[in-house]
Amino acid sequence: MSKTIIMTMNRVAAGVAMGVTAMSLGLSTTAVAADTEWAGFVENATYVRDGVGLSKFRNTAQAEFSKQLESDGWDNVSINGTLRATYDGVYDLNSDEFGKDAQAGYLGENWHGQDTSTAILAPGTPFPCENDPALCKNLDGYMDQSEDDARYPDFNDQLDFIRELYISADKQLESGTVLNLSFGKQQVVWGKTDLFRVLDVINPVDYSRHNIYDELEDIRIPQWMLTAEWRMGPDKVFDDSNFSLVWNIDKFRPSNLGTCGQPYAILDAGCFFASRINGGGPYVINDVVDYDWSLRNSQFGAKWEGVYGDTTFSLNALHYRQQLPSIHFLGGPGNNFGLFDIHFPEVNLLGGSIDYYSMDQDAVWRLEMAYTEGEELARDTDGYKKTDMLRYVIGFDKNIIIPELGTSSAFLLSTQLFGEHILDHERDMPNKKDNWIATLLFKGFYMNNRLSPQIIIAHDFAAEATAIAPSIDYLINDNWKVNAAFNIKEGGNKAFPWSAAGGAAAGGQTEPLARFLNGPIGVANQEDEFQLTVRYSF
Amino acid sequence: MFKKTFISLALTTAVSASAMAATEQDVQNAFHPYKNDVPAYQGLSAGMAINQDNVDQFKEIIDPAMYDFIKAGDTEIKVGETTSFDLNNSYVEATRKYMNDVSLGDNVGEIHGSVAGRPFPQEPSMDDPRAGEKLAWNFKYGYNWGDSAAIWPFYWTFRDMNSGKAERTLKFNFNFLNFTHRTQQTPVPAITPNPSNLFRATYLQVLEPFDVKNTQLLIQRFEDDLKRDNAYLYLGFQRRVRRLSTGQVTDAFLGSDIMIEDFEGYNGRISDNKWTYKGTRNMLLPMYNHNDMPLDADIHQDEDGYQMISFGGKGNCFQNVTWQLRKVYQLEGEPLDPNHPISKRQHFIDAQTFTIPRTVTYDRNGSIWKTFSIGQAHPDHHLPQNKGSGVSIDDSFSMIDMQAQHCTTGQFKGIIDPELTPESKMTVQNLRASGK
Repeated sequence: MSKTIIMTMNRVAAGVAMGVTAMSLGLSTTAVAADTEWAGFVENATYVRDGVGLSKFRNTAQAEFSKQLESDGWDNVSINGTLRATYDGVYDLNSDEFGKDAQAGYLGENWHGQDTSTAILAPGTPFPCENDPALCKNLDGYMDQSEDDARYPDFNDQLDFIRELYISADKQLESGTVLNLSFGKQQVVWGKTDLFRVLDVINPVDYSRHNIYDELEDIRIPQWMLTAEWRMGPDKVFDDSNFSLVWNIDKFRPSNLGTCGQPYAILDAGCFFASRINGGGPYVINDVVDYDWSLRNSQFGAKWEGVYGDTTFSLNALHYRQQLPSIHFLGGPGNNFGLFDIHFPEVNLLGGSIDYYSMDQDAVWRLEMAYTEGEELARDTDGYKKTDMLRYVIGFDKNIIIPELGTSSAFLLSTQLFGEHILDHERDMPNKKDNWIATLLFKGFYMNNRLSPQIIIAHDFAAEATAIAPSIDYLINDNWKVNAAFNIKEGGNKAFPWSAAGGAAAGGQTEPLARFLNGPIGVANQEDEFQLTVRYSF
Repeated sequence: MFKKTFISLALTTAVSASAMAATEQDVQNAFHPYKNDVPAYQGLSAGMAINQDNVDQFKEIIDPAMYDFIKAGDTEIKVGETTSFDLNNSYVEATRKYMNDVSLGDNVGEIHGSVAGRPFPQEPSMDDPRAGEKLAWNFKYGYNWGDSAAIWPFYWTFRDMNSGKAERTLKFNFNFLNFTHRTQQTPVPAITPNPSNLFRATYLQVLEPFDVKNTQLLIQRFEDDLKRDNAYLYLGFQRRVRRLSTGQVTDAFLGSDIMIEDFEGYNGRISDNKWTYKGTRNMLLPMYNHNDMPLDADIHQDEDGYQMISFGGKGNCFQNVTWQLRKVYQLEGEPLDPNHPISKRQHFIDAQTFTIPRTVTYDRNGSIWKTFSIGQAHPDHHLPQNKGSGVSIDDSFSMIDMQAQHCTTGQFKGIIDPELTPESKMTVQNLRASGK
C-alpha cells in the first residue's frame, strides 16, 4: 500500500458518505432510507478575547448517521459516519489580529511582555504559505495551512469533513464469545482521563480548534484503522473480559498545534516554528520529516480489559509515533538554511488503567498510567534527548447532594492529578523532571438538568499557571442549547535559559524554550475570553 | 434455669417455624386471589368516573396523593373491572418448590434458601416484626419483568404541570435480565458463569435527543443484598465508561423527576431501608388492558402499529387508563442513610403480582414530595408476542413532583422476548461497543 491507497480510501469514504446521504434523501429506495438514522447539529461559537476582540466565530454543521445492514453469518453489521463542516469567520471579521495579515511585534507577543532576548528570533510569520514560500517549503506538510485551511478546517486533502466512516460487524463464535471487526476512519479511545491524555493517544489531536479545552471527541483526528475485539464476556474469574487489537493503517499525522496566525496556537509553537534569526538569518525549521506510508510505519496496539469484582481494569500496549514535534538541532547559525529538523520518533507504550468503587467513601477512584520508551523532549544544548517517560493520573469522582445550593440534584465533584516523570532528565530540559497538573470539576444541575453551571480549574505546578473556566449550559428545549463561559488564565511567567542568548548567565529568558516549561495553560495567559455557543440539534 | 431457658427457646423456634411454613393454600391465595370473587366497594362500579364531586365517597380506596389530585380537580379516575393478572406458571411452580426452604437472616438484607419464585407467599401478619422486610423481598424476587424483557422504545417527557408545556422528551431502550431466580427462560434457575454472583442487571441507552444521545447506564445488582450495586455510565460525548457512585442513584436521572432508585417502584437494596408492613386493604390501582385504552397516536409509530398510552389531566401528567379495585399491601420504606433526600416511601403493592403501581414519596420534612404511578398492562391485551407470558407489564408511568409542580411521564413498548436481551448486553464492554 502507499499514500495513494490512503487517498483512495479517503475518496471511497467520501463516496460512501455521499451515497448514504443520497439514499437517505430519497434518491434510492424508501426502505433503505428508512433504516438510516440521522442526528446532528448546527452551532455558532463566538468567543471574544480580552484586549484582542473576536477570537472565534466558528460555525459548524455536523451530521451523524448509522445504517444497519443485513449479512449472512454476521450480526450487528452497520455503517457509521460523522460528517462535519466548519467555517470560522474570525479570519474575515478580525483580520487585524488573526489570519495572514496578523502582525506581531516580537515572538511571543501574545504570551509574555517585551523581552530583549527575543531580538535573536524574529516574530513568527503568520500563515507562512501565504507570506513566505521558502519557509512554507521548509514546513512542508506541518503547520503550513493556508488561511482558507484555517477558515474551513474540515476541507483538506485528508477529507477531514468525514470525521468518521467505518463498518462494524459481530461474529458469534462457537465458544459463545463474540468477535467484532471494525474498519474505517474512526476514533479509538483508551483510558479514563478528562482533559489530558495518558492512554488516549491513538488518534492525534487538533489543538488549533480550542487549545486543550474542547471535548476530545471533537478534536481527535480520526484515522483509518482496523480494530478486532474478542468479547469473551464473563468466565469463572472475570465478570467481563475483552481483548482488542488496533491497527492504525493511516499515514502518520501529528497533532495540530495551530499555525502561526491562528487564535489558538498551543505553546505558541506555530509562531516559534515560523520564526527565523533576525536580520534575514536562517529559519528555525529546516525541514519536517515526512513518513511515507509503509507497513513499517504503521501503528498498532493491543488492549486487554475486564471487570473483576468492584474493579474495572485495562492493560494497554501501543507502538505509535510521537504526535508532538521533536526538534533536532542541525548546527550553528549560518551552517544551514534552517536550524532544526522536526521529527516524530517511534514510541512504545505500556500502560494500564483501573477504577475502583469505594463503598465506604461512596466514590470512585481512577488510576491510569503509561510508560513510554522512545519519546524525545526538547533541551537547550542538543535540541532534544530521547528519554523514557512515565505519565499517570489519579482521579476521584463523587456525587454530593448539597440542598443548601438550592437543588435536590447531586453535584458532581471530579478531581484529577496528572503527573509526568522524565526518567532521563537533563538540567537543560525546560520540562521539569517531575511535574503535576491538578484539575477540579464541580458541576451542578438545576431545572431538571436544563440549567447546568460548572467550574473547571486546572493548575500547572511547574508553570505556576492556572486556568479557571466557569460556564453555564441552558437547554431551552430538545433542540436549542446555549452555553456561556469565561476562560481565564493566570501565570505562565517562567523563564528558562537559552544558551544562544547567554544562557543561565543572563538569568533565563522567555524565548524560545520557556514555552515548554510554561505549558499550554501558561503560554495562553493572555487568552482570557468570554465564550458564547448556541447550538440547534436535530 | 438453663434447662428451662432451652425448653422455652425450643418451643419458640417450633412455634415460629410452624407459623412460617407455607402451604398450598398460601400459594392459591397469593397467586389467584380473584379466583372465586373480586373485591367490591359500596357505590363503585366499572365504567364510572371518580372525580372532584364524588371522591370523598371513595377516599378509603384511594391513596392520599391521588385523593389530593382528584379533590383539586387535577384528574379523575375511570374505574375498570377487576381482572386477574395471572403470573407465569413457572414462577408459581418455583414458589411451591422452594417456599419452605426460605428464611430471613439475622440482619436486614440477609436471606437464605431463596432460589426462585416468591420467597414468602404467606399472608403478611401485623404481628410479624419482619413482615415488611418479607414483602420487600417478595418484590425484589418478583416476576416483575419475567426473566428478561426489553422496553423498545421508552419515551420520557418532562412536563411543567402548571402550563402543560412538554419541556423535553427522551427516547430510550431499556433491557432487564435476571441472572438468578430464573423460572421460565432457559437456563433456569441461573445463568453461568456468574463469578460475582449477580442477581440482575438493568441496561438503558438514550436514543434521543442529541445532547444525551448514546448515554448508557448499566446497573448490576448482586445476589448479596449487603453489597452495593455496580453502576456504569457511558457518556456519548466522552466515549468512556464511568463508574457511578451511589450518590447518583438518588439523583434526578438525566434531569427527570425520577431517581435511578425509583425505577420499577423501588430499585435499591433491601438493606438500605427500614421496612414496615402497614396493612392490607383494597385499593384502586392503575391496572388495565392496554389495547382497550385511548392511545397516543403521535409520539410513536412503528410497523407493528403499536401505540402508547396517552396522558391527560393537569399538565398532561396523568395516564389515560382505567383503575381497578385490587388487594394491596401497604409497605413503608425508610432510608437508613441520614443524608438520603427522602424520608420515606409508601408503596402500594399489588398483592397478586407484587408489582408497585403506586408509590408516594415524602421529603426530609415528612411532606409529600412525589407520587409515582406505574400503569400495569395485562399481557394478554398488549403486543401479540406478550400474550401468555404471565408478566404484568409496566406500560406507562407518571412521576409527579408535587412541590415543584413538575412531572415526568413515561410511555412504554414492553416486549417479552429473550432474544432482545442476551447476556452480552449486560456487560461493560457492551457500553463501549454500543456507544461507539
